[in-house]
Amino acid sequence: MDLFWQQLINGLSLGALYALIAVGYTVVYGIVQLINFAHGEIFMVGAFGAFATWVVMGSPKQMSWQAAVFGLLPAMIVGGMIVSVSVALLTERLAYRPLRDAPRLAPLITAIGISVFLQEVVRLFFGTIPGMPDAKRAIPFPTVTGISGRSFQIGTVTVQNSAVFTIAALAVCTVFLWFFVNRTKTGRAMVATSQDPDTARLMGINVDRVIMSAFAVGAALAAIAGVAHGMRYGNIDFRMGFLAGLKAFTAAVLGGIGNINGAVVGGLVLGVVESMATTFIPGQFGSPAWKDVWAFVLLILVLVFRPQGLLGAKVVDRA
Amino acid sequence: MSDTTTSANRLARYQTSAHIAGVVAAVLGIVSVLLPWSYAHEPLDDVAYYGAPSPLQYNYLGLMVIVLVMFGAPLALRRKGKFRDRIAWNTGARFGGYAMLATALVAVAGIGIEAGGLVNVDPGGWIAVAAGVLATAAGLVLLPSAAPRTGTFRTPAWGQILAIAVGLAAVLFAAAYALGLTDSGAFLFYLTFALGLALTLVRVGLFGWLAQCAADNKKVLVFAAFLVAFLFPFTQNGSDANMSIATQVLFFSATALGLNIVVGMVGLLDLGYIAFLGAGAFTSASLSGSLFAHINWHPPFIVTVLISGVVSSLLGLLIGTPTLRVSGDYLAIVTLAFGEIFRITMNNLDGSDGPNITNGSNGINNVPELGLFGFNFGDPHVMLGVTIGRFANYFWLMLIVLALIMVVFVNLNRSRIGRGWVAIREDELAAEAMGVNTFGLKLLAFAGGAFLAGVAGSVKAHYDVSVTPDQYVFLESAFLLAAVVLGGMGTVMGVLVGATVLKLLPEKLRFFSDYRLMLFGLLLVFMMRFRPEGIIADERRQLEFHAEDEELAEEVEGELIAYHDHYNPDAAKTEELR
Repeated sequence: MDLFWQQLINGLSLGALYALIAVGYTVVYGIVQLINFAHGEIFMVGAFGAFATWVVMGSPKQMSWQAAVFGLLPAMIVGGMIVSVSVALLTERLAYRPLRDAPRLAPLITAIGISVFLQEVVRLFFGTIPGMPDAKRAIPFPTVTGISGRSFQIGTVTVQNSAVFTIAALAVCTVFLWFFVNRTKTGRAMVATSQDPDTARLMGINVDRVIMSAFAVGAALAAIAGVAHGMRYGNIDFRMGFLAGLKAFTAAVLGGIGNINGAVVGGLVLGVVESMATTFIPGQFGSPAWKDVWAFVLLILVLVFRPQGLLGAKVVDRA
Repeated sequence: MSDTTTSANRLARYQTSAHIAGVVAAVLGIVSVLLPWSYAHEPLDDVAYYGAPSPLQYNYLGLMVIVLVMFGAPLALRRKGKFRDRIAWNTGARFGGYAMLATALVAVAGIGIEAGGLVNVDPGGWIAVAAGVLATAAGLVLLPSAAPRTGTFRTPAWGQILAIAVGLAAVLFAAAYALGLTDSGAFLFYLTFALGLALTLVRVGLFGWLAQCAADNKKVLVFAAFLVAFLFPFTQNGSDANMSIATQVLFFSATALGLNIVVGMVGLLDLGYIAFLGAGAFTSASLSGSLFAHINWHPPFIVTVLISGVVSSLLGLLIGTPTLRVSGDYLAIVTLAFGEIFRITMNNLDGSDGPNITNGSNGINNVPELGLFGFNFGDPHVMLGVTIGRFANYFWLMLIVLALIMVVFVNLNRSRIGRGWVAIREDELAAEAMGVNTFGLKLLAFAGGAFLAGVAGSVKAHYDVSVTPDQYVFLESAFLLAAVVLGGMGTVMGVLVGATVLKLLPEKLRFFSDYRLMLFGLLLVFMMRFRPEGIIADERRQLEFHAEDEELAEEVEGELIAYHDHYNPDAAKTEELR
């Protein structure tokens, strides 16, 4: 039973990471019905932005945990957000917007192109920025005193501090998102646009701005996920966005694409399933090497039995 | 509108001068060839001699002659007649000017880079640039001709067949020559030259005439094209390096053609297509009798091919059945996930994480050479005095496979099934309402595409000698997709062109190998933005991509009408002036 609780905690923290990224897929899909395949790369870029912020701050190494948690960490998150949001808005403006009325295959292919392009730009050119290390190999992520590598015990269950951070960040973001969507003008414009873009436009909503804010919100959460990923695994590399993005998309479909709460639930469920699968599936197929396979098998199963997702998709399928 | 008319009016006066300037430019270009272009000998395979042009310069000379004809013909053909009116001399001349400038600039840049500084460019090079500038300027002054109507020339059958033969021979020669260039600068120069020349000839209307010849003699053309491809190994003189590239191009084309059925015809975005190739390759390798294989049954290759195809298509059914019922977007991601599942699974079937079937990341090595009807594909043999090596053997085999896939593709395209596919691509709901079995047809395409990939994979296993999971990563799927998108979705020619470009360029332009992927990503974005229908567009597809742009369509139409109304009287005046 202890093992169960341990894996539940591990799964929830992993799932919270997926959920933070999944929100980006789901918000954009809910409004423009576009699978922003490059969102995984936005997450990666956010992590690199946070790292760059740390370098710009003079690569501080030794500090009290108060300074780290209340000074360094917020600064890195903000830095990551600035980078990821700028990149996301640029891709929207330059690549996706001209294709808004094109057949659906076109933006998907564009998204793949952007994804490859962003990975390669980071790999080739991150190291050429003065002060930055070469990004062709994994870069160790800065240690945030008090969070990175620390853990505590509840009974026999070990909890990583970074896991607490990720779950707390998800909780805060969910509350923020709820407030944003239900209580702000932009948020309600987003809801209106996702329900009926043409009518929303007639009601005086600036649809372009709404779409941009959807990209921005997704990118901001992805940057938080990037920092959480860095603290959890201790390093970042230019390839990290591919698998994480794929998993996050799985989470978004699992919860019901277009549904923000669904993305959160889907992420958590996916994380838990993944970590449980490595423990409770007997024999060779329960080894960690298979965990990605189980996650994708879950995706296919969901599509067979409940294509609208756990909480139900909030968009009409227009394909 | 009036602005363009007045400027057209103003330009009309200078037409003759522009033609003469163009002729002068072409003559200048010819003179430049007789002078050294570079002081150093290394750049562009040695262009440093007086009066003795290098092979590359002879190509450039050919371009000059064509440009000379383009600019000179309207001067020579004063009287009205089919040759003057049906051929778009002016448009051709304009593009010829661009081609001259582009090749000259590439030459100068190549010399500058390879010899370390523009000091090394000798007068010949600069004269070529000056000639290019002059020709471009002259071309810009020329009023564009009306669209060429060269398809209306009546040509006797023997003339048409001769034209096809000459055209294909030129392609064969050009391909063999380009492959033989080892210097990156020289290759780039040749590429610019070839593209510029092709574009000029397209604009002037030669291709319209060739297309008419081809349409009248389709069977001859197809047969001749295959004959040319078949003869290709004889141009290589037993050199393995180029044959290996050519064979890879064929593998890539065959797989991309399979993907083209799924993506181009039915409009299903399959991002895990490489997994089907991989499934075929692993199946074939496991049954091949390699010492590293774990299946102790070695059927003849004919059986193995079929088994590989069936295994791949079963996987296709497995993935397709659940996902083809839901929206197309899901399919893209699920196939992507499937590609990952396949790769990870092949990695894990190593004995410690699962049953030992593939040796994990080491893969199955030492796959024996392919044997078919007692013929061993690894053995070189001499034919017509040319050594035909291992790669050439596989080249011929893949040529046959490619031909089969093309036959399947073309026939399906014209059949009831193909029309159903296109209907699904254009509007699935409407197709369903018209009684098209959308799910069944989509599944057929998906499984059929997988079958073809499996067949290609089973040959590839023998060709590559070793099969490892790393060969079948997502990026390879993305490359295949890029070949389809670049060339033109839904066309055979387009995919062949796209596959050739994507495989050949990285092999020949080693210096940008590090930036290859980045440029590739950009290429996808730009293609979707500016020419989503691909280099060689399927007509239906082209309409589809531009149908929604009604504003633009109306605008263009309105412009055309106004242009004609204003232009025709002016044109009449120009005639009088002459």
